Amino acid sequence: MMSHIRGAWPLAACMLVWAASTASAATAPPTYALDATKSTLEFTFVQAGAQNKGRFPKFTLDFAFADDNLAASKLDVTIDVAALDTADQERDDTLRDTDLFNVKKYPQARFSATQLTKTGAGYEAAGTLMLRGVSKAQRVQFTLRSATEQGRHVLYMTGKSLVKRLDFGVGQGDWKSTEWVGADVTVTFNLRLIAP
Amino acid sequence: MLRNTTVRWGGVAQFFHWTIVVLIITQFTLALTAENLHGLKKLAVLATHKSIGITILMLALLRVLWRFNNPTPPLPATLKPYERFLAHFTHTALYLLIFITPLTGWIMSSARGFPVSWFNQFQLPDLVAKNRPLYDFMVDTHETLAWTLAGIATLHLLAALKHHFVMKDTVLRRMLPFTKTP
Repeated sequence: MMSHIRGAWPLAACMLVWAASTASAATAPPTYALDATKSTLEFTFVQAGAQNKGRFPKFTLDFAFADDNLAASKLDVTIDVAALDTADQERDDTLRDTDLFNVKKYPQARFSATQLTKTGAGYEAAGTLMLRGVSKAQRVQFTLRSATEQGRHVLYMTGKSLVKRLDFGVGQGDWKSTEWVGADVTVTFNLRLIAP
Repeated sequence: MLRNTTVRWGGVAQFFHWTIVVLIITQFTLALTAENLHGLKKLAVLATHKSIGITILMLALLRVLWRFNNPTPPLPATLKPYERFLAHFTHTALYLLIFITPLTGWIMSSARGFPVSWFNQFQLPDLVAKNRPLYDFMVDTHETLAWTLAGIATLHLLAALKHHFVMKDTVLRRMLPFTKTP
């Protein structure tokens, strides 16, 4: 009897290893490539009581995603802040200047998700936003829609995140006031992601 | 005494007249101040200028509606035909300018891509799509109209003073509060 049980151990161990390896092989999140020409990253803010809009035309994305393996999924965005564009040269220069984004010293911003979770509407990425030299917790909400285009699997990722600009020091001196430029900046994105 | 009579402007017409006078003077002060500012201070001054401009536009609209629903005190019968023509010309021009000047400012803001709000209370729709050449043209137009308004208003002021001190009629007094018109 004892020998019987002892003999079963190696088999069980083998089965466990096999199960684990097939599970991870089936759900290892694939890395998607950003289709920069069909993707936008924009920000809206209140200026003098009116909604205004700008965009970050240059950013890179490291996105690996599997719906059944969110723990191993990854979302990491690096934004070229200096390339910001609000369709107004004078305002862009002001935004790039020391009191606001200070792009000479902090040319990039980065969001790194540490945890992806499912929500009622889609997903939420909790992580860290590093902006103007300040790192703070930030949450990003997004939804995904998959499609097949010319035989390729693509994902459309749409979402937003509310950034409190003063938490990151975007607004020094006069610009600390929120009377003329609101404290809340909504970052929205529409991305086209191509499966490997 | 709120309504006009055939000899005197009523309280409402006087309110429109003098409020718009004060607001226009404020507009010149703000616009000229903004030229020497930059950054947030310029933004704040120009935002106030826009809000006051919209206020003038709204008051102008109400003022014209009020005028059409009230008697208009006539010009003195003693005026010569050319004086009568000048009076009508300056009055018509001033009425037009208190509409067109704010409107060109509004178009200018829209064309620049900076939507207009009214004292941070509500945002106004854009009158035109963003258009840099149109913006540049509107900057010049708005400025020219503003100085034209200042010039015609000066004529209007001089004429009012001439009526009061030279012709010694009631034309100035009937637009002044706290005065009596026989």
